[in-house]
Amino acid sequence: MPMLPEVVRQGSFAVAQTVLLLAAAPLLKTAIKKMKARLQNRQGPPLLQGYYDLAKLFAKEPVRAETASWVFAAGPRVYFGAVIAATTLVPVLVPAAPLEAAGGILLLVGMLALARFALATAALDTGSAFGGMGASRDMTIAALAEPALMLGLFTSALAAGSLNMGGLVRSVLQRGLVLYPSDLLAFAGLFIIVIAETGRIPVDNPATHLELTMIHEAMVLEYAGPDLALVEWGSAVKELLYLTLLVDLFLPLGMAADAAPAALLTGLLAWALKVFLLAVGVTITETTNAKLRLFRVPELVSVSLGLAFLALAIRFL
Amino acid sequence: MSVNLGQLAAVAVPAAVLIRLVTVAAAIVLGRRGAAARTIALTGSIVASVMTIAAAVHVLGGGGAVAGVLLHHAASGAVLTFSMTPLSAWFVMVFGVIAIPITVYSASYFPHAIPPARMAAVSAAFNVMLGAVEVVFVAADVLTFVFAWELMTLATAMLVASGHEERGNRRAGYLYLVMSHVGTGCLLAAFLILAAAAGSLSLPSLLAGHLVAGYTRTAVFLLFLVGFGVKAGLIPFHVWLPEAHPAAPSSISALMSAVLITAGLYGLVRVCAFGLGTPDVIWGVAFMGLGALSAILGVLYALTQGDLKRLLAYSTIENSGIVVLGLGAAMLALAYGRGGIATVAIAASLAHVLNHAAFKGLLFLGAGSVVMQTGTRRVEQFGGLLRRMPWTGSLFLVGALAIAGLPPLNGFVSEWLTFQALLLGFGATPGFVRLIHPLSAALLALTTALAAACFVRVAGICFLALPRSEAAAAAGEVPAAMWIPQAALALLCVALGLMPGVVLSALGAIVTSLPGLQPVPLVMWGSTGIASPARTFDHLVPATFAVALLAAVTVGALAARRRAVVRRVPAWGCGGVLSAQTQYTATAFSKPLLMIFRAVYRPTREVEALADVSPYYPQEVRYRSVIEPTFERYVYSPVLRAVLRVANGMKALQAGSLHAYLAYVLALGVLLLLWLGGSK
Repeated sequence: MPMLPEVVRQGSFAVAQTVLLLAAAPLLKTAIKKMKARLQNRQGPPLLQGYYDLAKLFAKEPVRAETASWVFAAGPRVYFGAVIAATTLVPVLVPAAPLEAAGGILLLVGMLALARFALATAALDTGSAFGGMGASRDMTIAALAEPALMLGLFTSALAAGSLNMGGLVRSVLQRGLVLYPSDLLAFAGLFIIVIAETGRIPVDNPATHLELTMIHEAMVLEYAGPDLALVEWGSAVKELLYLTLLVDLFLPLGMAADAAPAALLTGLLAWALKVFLLAVGVTITETTNAKLRLFRVPELVSVSLGLAFLALAIRFL
Repeated sequence: MSVNLGQLAAVAVPAAVLIRLVTVAAAIVLGRRGAAARTIALTGSIVASVMTIAAAVHVLGGGGAVAGVLLHHAASGAVLTFSMTPLSAWFVMVFGVIAIPITVYSASYFPHAIPPARMAAVSAAFNVMLGAVEVVFVAADVLTFVFAWELMTLATAMLVASGHEERGNRRAGYLYLVMSHVGTGCLLAAFLILAAAAGSLSLPSLLAGHLVAGYTRTAVFLLFLVGFGVKAGLIPFHVWLPEAHPAAPSSISALMSAVLITAGLYGLVRVCAFGLGTPDVIWGVAFMGLGALSAILGVLYALTQGDLKRLLAYSTIENSGIVVLGLGAAMLALAYGRGGIATVAIAASLAHVLNHAAFKGLLFLGAGSVVMQTGTRRVEQFGGLLRRMPWTGSLFLVGALAIAGLPPLNGFVSEWLTFQALLLGFGATPGFVRLIHPLSAALLALTTALAAACFVRVAGICFLALPRSEAAAAAGEVPAAMWIPQAALALLCVALGLMPGVVLSALGAIVTSLPGLQPVPLVMWGSTGIASPARTFDHLVPATFAVALLAAVTVGALAARRRAVVRRVPAWGCGGVLSAQTQYTATAFSKPLLMIFRAVYRPTREVEALADVSPYYPQEVRYRSVIEPTFERYVYSPVLRAVLRVANGMKALQAGSLHAYLAYVLALGVLLLLWLGGSK
């Protein structure tokens, strides 16, 4: 079995990176909440609140609607699984993704689509109107965001000559600190998409349970206990994943060149700093904007689409 | 040994045709004894399919093309010939692999759906249709091709109109016949132009690619595009499809949607892309444009449909569009002499033909079971069927995941390949033409995401939550003989998703047989992995990733499993009682997208509140929303009116007066004499 050590190495790399993202995700969510609160002159939750919440939810008794079938239980599990599996396709500390040999950006986008599909289908399972409302709106926004996301990734991939996250990051690193104007446009376009996909203001408000405005929260309204914990944790990891994706595509500097502890520590600090800066950006966006009406979201997304197309045009024409 | 296999394969095709002829004749003779006729016709069909698949596997496995004679009429010297090239073999194999489960399903389904008096006729027509499509794929001369093409059309029209008591079915059958014959007319004209130039009727010599040039070549291309485009359901030639596919009995709808449209796609590949010489740039652009248009409009119309079978029919238009989009990318690459990139695009296109056939067959059979058990096709009348029909429901969910292009199922693989082809094509195309690639990619991404929304809606509203009608509440599972074929198709969807390398290595034989394509090392890591040429863009090993996904889902399930007992409580009904009326409807689900894309749908709506006392306390609210049938109204209606006007004008010439007719004959005779005399 000469293959075995390689499999073990890749496997432990994948597990280690996934554990890192799983551990860091609740912190990111709480940090954004905390910063938002401070900007609004409130105290905000303690930084570890995300972990307390998850621990509490996991310990609760599982409760499900009488009307629900097995799909309702499968939804959060597939959602969580698909998001977690997707993390293995993205480089975090080193310029390589654990499972990059298995697929690239398209698989990553496909995995996130699977996660969304699972949760939206499950939301229709209780018969409550909220689930349907949330699922409908979530799928609508995702559908609108998809072309802009694809066009943005298209630009990066063409510039790097690779659709593989590992290859892409390595190519950006090789290029050095050269920022093309097209990168700024593509970044702005993708940032809008990240806002839309992670359910942040101005597209969705993660802090509301107001019937008529909630999207993601409406979709998961019927979940409680461990089921809800999986959804919450999964969506936190998804947000971290999107921010890491932005970091990888546009500013992968500071990544560890090898697996030495010092290099890994530098990589960790660099990654944490960059993600934190993006989180500040998300917080400022959330604080300075009002939530858009659902039917104004297409306008926002077309801005992103326009930016992505412009980036492509000035880079390659 | 290999010689023997080749001879066997060459015999298998005419033998399959013979079996079909014999069993069809037997079914017709048995006539009144419907059950016996059905058994014979369908069994014969399965045996014939197995034989043609075997021949196709031989050809694709590197055995080389097999050819022969189907019929030799000594007195007239007419010969019907066939030749199974690797491209034909691919389509024959896709067709057979999907047709067999559908036929097995039909054997149990027909007794529920078809009146005994019509059983023999429908079963025979079913078999005739299958045979005709197979002959279309392997025809080696124009005579055979046109004969089989027409037989396919007529048999299908008969099946579409088999429930002719309903006006809608008669209309659907008629529309299908008219549109098909417009298409066949175009094909005949194009073939005659080529035949006149070639002085022969054999397809290989007609499609050698150098017979016509300039404007004639473009005209022939356009005629073929219309002729095959009608059958492939491409927008704007699609109007018959959403009428005809749902009108037929469900298993026949499955056959039409999954594999009958591949006859049109086969023609587009064989003739338009590879039969008329190196394609022009504008041909590739036109194909990509038509493909993207069909994909996006198909899915948008599917999204708002309230009739389950119509919805699936519109989704067929979408998938046909995706195939043609890939084909267009291949033609564009060929026009610029980039054979390697064309290969990736063709592989994407042909792989999607197979993948679509697998999941659309599965979904249509599922829809057929649901319609059979509830007696309605309205999405709003289903609900809660997953509990009542656990097999059908679960398998339908697999199909929904596959058609939404989600990994690790098969729909994802061909869409992945199409994206690869578009990315590679961008770099291979000069100037502004290259922009069509990212634009198509964005549209394809939108299509995929809308398809996901569409099938969340279908699966969720039809199968989950509470039943929305008494019929749905009373529905039960179909017999095993009907869900096992669906399970087979679902397994195929999973297997094709996990082992795309198998498909791609089969496609390798096709690539070397088509002019202009360069074989590229598409296959890596045996049967499980695929990669773009030289790994420039991306690679994919779905099986590895499926393991990771499975592990992650298991971790999630274990993490959430503190207590085994789950408390069941009523869902929150906003203070009221949750009932079928308070559930979210399919109409409401697609409403945001209807509003956002209202420029396409141009919806009109009426809300009528009936109130006794005050308008604020309505007793009853009636809501009606209609989507404008854009193509019917703005494209077909003017054409139809023009045809009727011309026909009316003809009345003056053709009024039944014998004297007038004699005068016409005389005038014609004089004109002919003058013409012949003049030419001397």
